[in-house]
Amino acid sequence: MKSILLILCFYLISLGLYGQDLLIEAESFDSPGGWVIDPQFVQQMGSPYLMAHGMGNPVKNATTVVNFPETSTYHIWVRTMNWVPGEWEAPGRFQLKVGDTDFEKVLGKRSGWGWEYVGATEISTKFEKVELIDLTGFNGRCDAIYFSAKNEEPPSSPKKLASWRMTIAQEPNAPKQHQAYDLVVVGGGIAGCAASIAAAEQGLKVALIHDRPMLGGNASAEIRVHTLGIYGHFERILKKLDTEHYPNGSAEAKLDQKKRDDNVKSYENIDLYLNWRAYDAVAENNTIQYVDARHTSSGERKRFEAPYFVDSTGDGWVGFWAGADFSYGRESVDTYGEEWEEWGELWSPNEEDNAVMGSSVLWGSKVMDTEQKFPEVPWAMPVAKAYEEVNGEWQWEFSRNDLNQIDDAEEIRDHMLRAIYGSFSNAKEHPENATRRLEWVSYLVGKRESRRLVGDHIFTFNDAKAGTKFPDAVVQETREVDVHYQTVLEDEKNPDFISEALFYKTPRYYIPYRSLYSKNIDNLFMAGRNFSTSHVGLGGPRVMRTTGQMGAAVGLAASLCKKYDVNPRQVYTGYLKEYLDLIESQKYIKIPKSKQ
Amino acid sequence: MKIQLGILLIFFAAIGFAQFGPQTPFSDRFGQNSMNLPPEFYSLEWNGGMQLKAKPTDLSIEIDSMGAQEINVLVDLKDRPVLYTSDISTPVCADGDCRLMDIRLYWTLLGEYAGFDRYPNSPLTKHDHDEFLSADYRKLHQLLMDDNSILKRRKIDELVKKPEQPEMEGVDAVAGATIKEVKESVVGGALYSCYTAWHLVHGPIKDAIQKRTLSLVDNDMVLRMLGSNNTDYQMFALKRMTEEQYAANYLRIAQIFEDGVPLIRTFIVKNLPDRFWNSERLQIPFWDNFSEVDINSRSLLLDNLKNSPVSVLENLSQELSVMTKNQLNLYLMHLAELKQIKPSILTNIEIFANSPSETYAYLATDFLKDYKL
Ligand SMILES: Cc1cc2nc3c(=O)[nH]c(=O)nc-3n(C[C@H](O)[C@H](O)[C@H](O)COP(=O)(O)OP(=O)(O)OC[C@H]3O[C@@H](n4cnc5c(N)ncnc54)[C@H](O)[C@@H]3O)c2cc1C
Repeated sequence: MKSILLILCFYLISLGLYGQDLLIEAESFDSPGGWVIDPQFVQQMGSPYLMAHGMGNPVKNATTVVNFPETSTYHIWVRTMNWVPGEWEAPGRFQLKVGDTDFEKVLGKRSGWGWEYVGATEISTKFEKVELIDLTGFNGRCDAIYFSAKNEEPPSSPKKLASWRMTIAQEPNAPKQHQAYDLVVVGGGIAGCAASIAAAEQGLKVALIHDRPMLGGNASAEIRVHTLGIYGHFERILKKLDTEHYPNGSAEAKLDQKKRDDNVKSYENIDLYLNWRAYDAVAENNTIQYVDARHTSSGERKRFEAPYFVDSTGDGWVGFWAGADFSYGRESVDTYGEEWEEWGELWSPNEEDNAVMGSSVLWGSKVMDTEQKFPEVPWAMPVAKAYEEVNGEWQWEFSRNDLNQIDDAEEIRDHMLRAIYGSFSNAKEHPENATRRLEWVSYLVGKRESRRLVGDHIFTFNDAKAGTKFPDAVVQETREVDVHYQTVLEDEKNPDFISEALFYKTPRYYIPYRSLYSKNIDNLFMAGRNFSTSHVGLGGPRVMRTTGQMGAAVGLAASLCKKYDVNPRQVYTGYLKEYLDLIESQKYIKIPKSKQ
Repeated sequence: MKIQLGILLIFFAAIGFAQFGPQTPFSDRFGQNSMNLPPEFYSLEWNGGMQLKAKPTDLSIEIDSMGAQEINVLVDLKDRPVLYTSDISTPVCADGDCRLMDIRLYWTLLGEYAGFDRYPNSPLTKHDHDEFLSADYRKLHQLLMDDNSILKRRKIDELVKKPEQPEMEGVDAVAGATIKEVKESVVGGALYSCYTAWHLVHGPIKDAIQKRTLSLVDNDMVLRMLGSNNTDYQMFALKRMTEEQYAANYLRIAQIFEDGVPLIRTFIVKNLPDRFWNSERLQIPFWDNFSEVDINSRSLLLDNLKNSPVSVLENLSQELSVMTKNQLNLYLMHLAELKQIKPSILTNIEIFANSPSETYAYLATDFLKDYKL
């Protein structure tokens, strides 16, 4: 039984008490039932958690069997959060059942992540079933359950909680298991997948660490954004990964999902770590030594060592942990001279600021044969107001300057959920929508922009406008540069979760290799939207065939790094011709040796 | 009056006059080359008593098969430019069937759309020759006010694709801009007229007008723009004012901060000269609007906490409810760094911490706990 291994206990001998404390991580439940594991906000709130994402229909119970080392009276706490506190019933309410005891206490009611006391119970058998009972279907969340002989609430503040967790788990932050590779790629969006394939095809032993059960990031069936952009030199590789041009949010994303997963899995020298989330990277002398990662449900830890790393997390996590220079927000218009007079401040501001393109949560509804009820959602209305809609496309986007797209991603996601449920509820008021039912609402935040790691070259709007043909051009694109802004900036009456795009038509433009490795961390590549670019510069090449090209380009560069035992910069300074030839050769379908 | 228009007038006289609701007769608004009432569809403010006179400029719009159509500048009694206008006659063609569309267009001094007038005897018509109804004119006005309309980046034939045809070239944004979106923004049955009008209004003439204005710009014009309610004017003025002008006009700027759209407000807070943050008198009017303005503007104000006088900190302690979580944290962190906190501020924080309806009361509670340690 998996849970037996995961149950964590320690003795309170020092306090002279004889009892045992257990911390059950919700994400490690034997069966999550209808609850989903949400590992998106580990760095902020401390852990993956279970969430009852039922779109208004209570989900099936999550269950696990707990091995109590001691039969005794236990006090029980649940770590949870009311995700929309206010003058209404909390939307995400749930209850706990231990053995045959249904606790009356309704959970999910406190502001901010922390512990709610459930009650005390006598545990008389060694193995007890523990169940989470969802009451609403509206995103109740449970991080962990704590059983203690003592009636003392565990700490809530994130710092104290982290060390408390480690003590109670008797677990060091550093993994015992070490694994060595030629290249470690973190983040399995299109960029990370392409990097892994390109490197693996050149014979490198690759670890691809990805925190979801499926590959593709924003292009996955879980987020459902279709891939745009051109293939550049990498058509063959990118066709293994990209999508058809279905509308964003379409269920057709599932077809391409299978293709992508199968293709990546077909490479023998890619070790695919699905459901593993990296949580640290340590550099010595500006060289990353390893990346540490943890399984999102079992909590198992592993250390990944390699001479070279690719940060394709979208959020620049590996670079951030390792101390790589990065930027966030909009540069002032004079920093790189990225003015577009027509759009002034909306395009590039006089003074720098921390505005970025926002994150989205895509969703859709469906007409059914029979009438469909949708619950009242008073807690959603302050966000949705009078807005009504039956599905959401790319314009459903949210950013605000007090919110950081990484640190506050949970609040951003939750804001979008309120916008969606509220707007759908408004639309349901109309008789013509009586048979409509929410079919799918993602619970993953689809991001566009956050940290951008700084390389030897920072790609800007001017590089795109001028179509600069860099000597080390490895990625190319013809797609317009488009930058988004929230429409509420122009009129306060607009909903704050809808954006608008400004398009600038450019000639074919090129991204130099020097934008794909870190300026100050010697063995770090980056590919994807966290490459080295300005805010406006990102406006064009953030789409996923372009980010895929970046991935393929760094995968090939890594193979030369290995061949000559050099760092990424030295590929530019010493082996550029060979590198460009290698890229060029990608254009032609390879004929197997046996047939030459 | 142009010959084409004359012909059209005769044509319309022959088929009967359009039915209009109550409206100001066109000639009163703009008769004898002078104008004392705003255009019927108008997006700027109109000062009562304003009288405008048309004067020719060397600007014109080139229209296929119609030639150059002149642009006039409308000046006030002091001969200061206020608007640009042109009597446009343009063919609108759909499926090889062409009609003339007559419309008088107005632009702001910056070349933005300002409004239009219809000709009483030459109403706009739809594809099936039905005349525009009042609601259709209003919709056209809405469409023309949208300078980033979906019509902007698309060729006309891309807008009339059958729904079953796959979407054309995709872009992050436009992929979602379906035919539905076009339908919502244009007058039903009048896509071609709408398309033609939009591209005339927002075509190259925009830059030409702006260029002309830039060649005439002086302090008086800048200050008039600052006095306007038009966002583009305000932005234009704010971007051109000297530090002295900022200081001299601080009350007007604070007023704009209060009434303006978030875009203008955020520009203002970010671009106030340093001397504002060193002067209690100059910065207070902005802080006074803290609870009234949007969240983004509030965040930007809070970036200036370190330069704010105690009275501001005290006032803010009564506005904790409107702060977002991060804003509240920022404010409390600022207080935590002070050597001393005024007792009245602590009292307000305590009241907030004890209020059960406050979502972030717990942050205040934590702060007070730490503070007392
Ligand atoms: C609504 C929306 C519409 C868009 N429209 C389009 C469009 O039409 N076409 C298009 O091509 N692009 C579009 N974009 C832009 C594009 O999807 C993004 O720029 C995308 O993020 C680029 O891909 P990526 O590989 O860099 O990052 P992602 O796709 O974000 O992939 C990064 C992956 O890394 C994983 N990860 C993050 N941190 C860790 C960690 N610590 N450990 C392990 N794994 C981790 C994440 O789960 C994620 O799946 C859109 C974006 C949005 C949000």
